[in-house]
Amino acid sequence: MASTSFAPSSFMLSEYLEKLPGATFRKLYQQPSTAFAIFRRMLPHLAKIYVQALLYMPEPLSVKDLDVWVRPEGKTASNRAIGILRSLHIVSVIQPSKDKPQEIQLTNNFKKSLRLALEGGGSHSSFGVPSRLPVNPEIDIPFLDNWAGKIWQDILYYVVNSVPVRNDSGGGSGYSSQGGPRAAVRELLLMGGLVRRGDGGGVQISEHGFNFLLQEANAQVWTLLLLWLEAADRSKAAAKGGAPVPATSLDNVEMLSFLFMLASLELGRAYDTSALTDTRRNMLPALADFGLIYIDPRNREQYFPTRLATTLTSSSAALRSVSASLDAATKKNPGDAGSLVAGAGVPEENGGIIIETNYRIYAYTSSPLQIAILHLFARLIMRWPNMVSGRLTRESVREAIKDGITANQIISYLAAHAHPQLVRAAAAKGTPVLPATVVDQIRLWQLESERMQPNAGFLFKDFDSVEEYAEMATYAQEIGVLVWKNDRKRHFFVRKVEQLRDWLKARKKGG
Amino acid sequence: MPRAIRGVLITCEPAIKSILLHIDKTQLNNEAIIEDLDDTHLFVKEQMLKTLQSKLDEKLKETYRVEQPLEDSDAEGN
Repeated sequence: MASTSFAPSSFMLSEYLEKLPGATFRKLYQQPSTAFAIFRRMLPHLAKIYVQALLYMPEPLSVKDLDVWVRPEGKTASNRAIGILRSLHIVSVIQPSKDKPQEIQLTNNFKKSLRLALEGGGSHSSFGVPSRLPVNPEIDIPFLDNWAGKIWQDILYYVVNSVPVRNDSGGGSGYSSQGGPRAAVRELLLMGGLVRRGDGGGVQISEHGFNFLLQEANAQVWTLLLLWLEAADRSKAAAKGGAPVPATSLDNVEMLSFLFMLASLELGRAYDTSALTDTRRNMLPALADFGLIYIDPRNREQYFPTRLATTLTSSSAALRSVSASLDAATKKNPGDAGSLVAGAGVPEENGGIIIETNYRIYAYTSSPLQIAILHLFARLIMRWPNMVSGRLTRESVREAIKDGITANQIISYLAAHAHPQLVRAAAAKGTPVLPATVVDQIRLWQLESERMQPNAGFLFKDFDSVEEYAEMATYAQEIGVLVWKNDRKRHFFVRKVEQLRDWLKARKKGG
Repeated sequence: MPRAIRGVLITCEPAIKSILLHIDKTQLNNEAIIEDLDDTHLFVKEQMLKTLQSKLDEKLKETYRVEQPLEDSDAEGN
């Protein structure tokens, strides 16, 4: 996994999807729920507008006409939107011929499915089949929230608790009595590089793990699901819970579209397992391990999607990061998956962190998760029943930075969890919540260890002409992949190469 | 026809760049750096990045003096 060594975001959904071949997309888009979910979740605003405009057009639209919609200064944004649509195989661009200019249209399956999703109709049962059997009245929304929250919290604890225990007192011990996630999930975390095996046989959190922890809940769920898809891809006949996990490319499509379907289900409702295909039924135990669905042990004919599943494709901005969600737990706002995750295990969390100008930290908390997170970047010295104390040191912060946490993440975490007293005092004086010296120092510590900044990608060189270089560099900039260029040497560096390759091919054909 | 080469772009200060060049020449047999792009950019092999990073850290440790924060009254020294 060399390519992921410093790009944790490569686990993310869009990049996973972009790597899929066109045929897979054609199969995926046969499901209205998938087309709808991709439309809702994966597209920027402008791209959505294009899709809406193209959806009911009987004929392909000429690219020239599309350009008329766009003001000159919006050209970059427009090209980027179309680039995304093309990489997700939502639109296809028809190359110009003698009697026709270059045209753009929605791909057939996507168009058909999205129309079906919007209009209803069809017998695709793509949005789930509700169970007709009587439902256990104990299984209501609070029950599901509680259950999913507990499972997810266990997974987060497992990642945090795998922090190596340093030689100071306080963190790392005293809260290992958790049941923890299932073995299959643990293996997945290990395989995905979120934790790694330490010297003593235990596991340690890795830099991906840190990033995972600080992601919003929704992104965390996807990270795990994509790891799971990749694992299934790799091990064709791996046994999971006795049932073979099928992993041919078709089943891969099945798995993905099932996830998208789950996202369209209704929270608190029972759905019928017998309406599912075998592949999908085999996925259920694993999904229950992740806390995405709940299966009543007394009635295995039914499955209940939890909030983790039903918010899979809702807008990511509505969800919170772990730090923010800890915060949200205090406000008892049960609206989203983020607050669900935090709310379950730390009911009386109050985010009471005090930081002094001498780098000492006092945190009025007994939440193991918060203590564990503090322990990631602070040296904890003492622990009382309702409070821990410690200090930020150059070593503790640098250690965290080495593991992939950024100075800004630390600062915003501290600011978000500052003690109300600190917040009030700062507001009265009109100063920032955290002491400026501390904030500056954390940033300086980061700069110290960031003497070189790596970017993985591709270097383009040896252009035939200045024009070729200029055109291509401009295009790379427009689709947002350009990292660096040098006009004098005619070199440039990009993050991704696929679209440029297509562009080169098209250009070659065109003359 | 332009060529596309896979690798890692490193952005850094000129001083750091010259240390990296030196490390590459003396310790790594010119194996890590593919191209010296300009004053602040180097193009290196992906699989050599980690090595290069740790060698740089080692090198800088020799030159960097860490200032100890002022100790205060609590008994954290134990």
